[in-house]
Amino acid sequence: MGVAPQLSAFEAALAASLPAGELRAALETAGLPHRRIEAWKWSDLRAALAKAPARAGMLSVNASRKADEITTLDRQPDLLMPRLAAGLSEGCPVYALKDGESLSLDFEGSEGASHHIAAVNVPAGVSATLHERYRVVAGGFANIALRIVLGEGATLTRIVEQDASPNGVLVVTTGIDLSPRAKLHQTTLGFGAKLARLETHITHAGEGAQLVLGGSYLVASGLHLDQTGIVRHTGTNGATRELFKGAAAKGGRGVFQGKIHVEQAAQKTDAQMNHRGLLLGDGAEIYAKPELEIYADDVVCAHGNALGAVDDEALFYMRQRGLSEARARAVLTRSFLAEPLDAIEDETVREALLARLDAALEAVS
Amino acid sequence: MPAVKETIEDVRRLEADKYKYGFTTEIEQEFAPKGLNEDIVRFISEKKGEPQWMLDWRLDAYRRWVEMEEPTWANVHHPKIDYQDAYYYAAPKNAAKYKSLDEVPAELLETYKKLGIPLREAEVLLGVEGAEDRTAAEAREAPKVAVDAVFDSVSVATTFKKELEKAGVIFMPISEALQEYPDLVRQYLGSVVPVTDNYFATLNSAVFSDGSFVYVPPGVRCPMELSTYFRMNAQGTGQFERTLIIADKGAYVSYLEGCTAPMRDENQLHAAVVELVALDDAEIKYSTVQNWWPGDAEGKGGVYNFVTKRADCRGRNSKVSWTQVETGSAITWKYPSCVLRGDNSQGEFYSIAVTNGRQQADTGTKMIHLGRNTKSRIIAKGISAGRSDQTYRGLVSVHAKAEGARNFTQCDSLLIGDQCGAHTVPYIEAKTPKATLEHEATTSKLSDDQLFYARSRGLDEETAVALLVNGFCREVLQELPMEFAVEAQALLKVSLEGSVG
Repeated sequence: MGVAPQLSAFEAALAASLPAGELRAALETAGLPHRRIEAWKWSDLRAALAKAPARAGMLSVNASRKADEITTLDRQPDLLMPRLAAGLSEGCPVYALKDGESLSLDFEGSEGASHHIAAVNVPAGVSATLHERYRVVAGGFANIALRIVLGEGATLTRIVEQDASPNGVLVVTTGIDLSPRAKLHQTTLGFGAKLARLETHITHAGEGAQLVLGGSYLVASGLHLDQTGIVRHTGTNGATRELFKGAAAKGGRGVFQGKIHVEQAAQKTDAQMNHRGLLLGDGAEIYAKPELEIYADDVVCAHGNALGAVDDEALFYMRQRGLSEARARAVLTRSFLAEPLDAIEDETVREALLARLDAALEAVS
Repeated sequence: MPAVKETIEDVRRLEADKYKYGFTTEIEQEFAPKGLNEDIVRFISEKKGEPQWMLDWRLDAYRRWVEMEEPTWANVHHPKIDYQDAYYYAAPKNAAKYKSLDEVPAELLETYKKLGIPLREAEVLLGVEGAEDRTAAEAREAPKVAVDAVFDSVSVATTFKKELEKAGVIFMPISEALQEYPDLVRQYLGSVVPVTDNYFATLNSAVFSDGSFVYVPPGVRCPMELSTYFRMNAQGTGQFERTLIIADKGAYVSYLEGCTAPMRDENQLHAAVVELVALDDAEIKYSTVQNWWPGDAEGKGGVYNFVTKRADCRGRNSKVSWTQVETGSAITWKYPSCVLRGDNSQGEFYSIAVTNGRQQADTGTKMIHLGRNTKSRIIAKGISAGRSDQTYRGLVSVHAKAEGARNFTQCDSLLIGDQCGAHTVPYIEAKTPKATLEHEATTSKLSDDQLFYARSRGLDEETAVALLVNGFCREVLQELPMEFAVEAQALLKVSLEGSVG
């Protein structure tokens, strides 16, 4: 901890590609995040990249339309990974969404290390959809930082799909500002990678603003998915609902880290966070840390977390009705994981995501 | 006494002398020189007449400690502790026996009176001739509590020793146990909390001065509640207690730990280690009421309570239950834990933590499920008032071989006033599909509706708050042994004084 780490060839190359300065020094002294750093306790990025080839890769971004402008990223979470992404990207494409627009952004990381930043603005009163998709090929490391700003009364539906990327490493850090009366409904569907982390930092201004975070994950053998979300309530009368459900097959690892931070000014906050995990076989692992940090007294905050296996009684019931055990398990697991996705309003999108979930379930069972 | 009147009197008493236990007894004390180095460790060991292996053990711990860094992950803030600016050994100079109570220095008697220890018991504690037999005779009718009082660092005396001996129970200061049962101590000491465990436990291993030792032989149900009063007294002395309790196969013991400390200007460090070992079918119940000096309203002074408490449910079907009521200390850093090693073993943790003024508490538990069909239950109630900050930090970890493990965790926080903080940081790790883990947490303020109702029935605000808080904590209070439940309810009331209105 206090001792400077021995940088891997990968980290050294990453540092060398940065201009001399504070960021480079930070990487050189501490290296990439590892398990001894509290926020990365269950997702050891350093270990995952220890033997990665020290060369630059390509990140292809397939957007449904051109960016409105290319600029520099003004503000983002003060964390090493997004700072690295900003430091190693050339310019930041900015998308200003129009009312009723649906923007899709597909990211694919090639072999080697690649970095990218992008910003999405949802102006006041505008209602729009953002659909992201991430995948990384084997031997690749993609580090992406996104910045999303919702103006007053804006509404955004955000869909995030993370494809199974065996032997790829992915870190996506998103900083979101929620202005008064804005609404964000975010749903993620993830399948993991050698190590994948979807990290979201949301500043919730309250005053009628509403946040719904939903997520499903299914990690097969050898895959790791970390969903980390920090919601900071800064104003009064804010509401947050979180529901994350996931399943880990034998040899798969799921990580959920959620935090709801309520500042003293954020009186009358109503926040609930729920995480449920299913362990599908021996050697499956799920780690959870649902945190509350509360400095205001007139609030209602709760979190729940439950980990276990498929309910034996339900299983018994279905077998009585003539389903094979494997089939009964699949049905129960499917209905368990589908709940966060069921909340997606757009039927086409919802059905597409459920179909992907079904295909993935087929593959693990 | 009606609740209203009782509260009013409690509050009045508090105003009268602010902190009832904030007194200092002026007795001659013997100090080791200030500071910490290998010579001090040798000095402590020599004072105790310890065997060579014990000294080596301490020195090993000290050398490791010097290399360690103080942990900073807890959600507490305090000025850096100067470990060289404290005394590591203080003993009452004259621990000799008295012929009668008249010979006992008046200050010492006064201390016991303020602590609420009955005179008869005080006689025994002070070692007055013949007192033990008289007390034992009386105790046959009255409810029994055996007390091992720790006056600063040295256990002054042990009551009810004879009756316990009859049952085969060993209950004595650990320093004496080192003389009389060195093999037993050597076998278990550090087997639950190893020397290398953490910064404060390692420091304790190097400099612990005394504490309690309990051994309950196979099949014995300890005939009485065992109890220790901890008192910190001499200015600038740290308290480094070491408690070791072993319940052999099929044994049962209930242990009560109560703490009060005098008012102090400078911060006092308390780094205790408690080790519990439960073998096959054994059960240990460990209850704590902690109300050390929390510092004044501006956060000046107060005790730093950095404690390592851990139980090893080593045997099959063993059970350990921790119950704690934490109202005192400026800073609390404490996680009574259970290692559920034996198949079918059970761990329980019931906690009430109250912080007021500028107190800070980072407390919780760890339940490590290693054996099959192990069960754990965690009920934590946190109440923050004033400008205090409180964190529940807990770990539930189920290892791959712990098939059939079950955990239920519930942590509720109550906020009184808008200047305080309440935080929940649970860590949940599952590595087998054959386990079930549940966690629930809520944070809310005192319900206005309930307060209004209580007030409309004629209760003043303070009494109404006390009533609601007691209801909020009921699940934990009912786990306490009778003697403590009453004290704990009164403490909750006094601790929250001045937090409303």
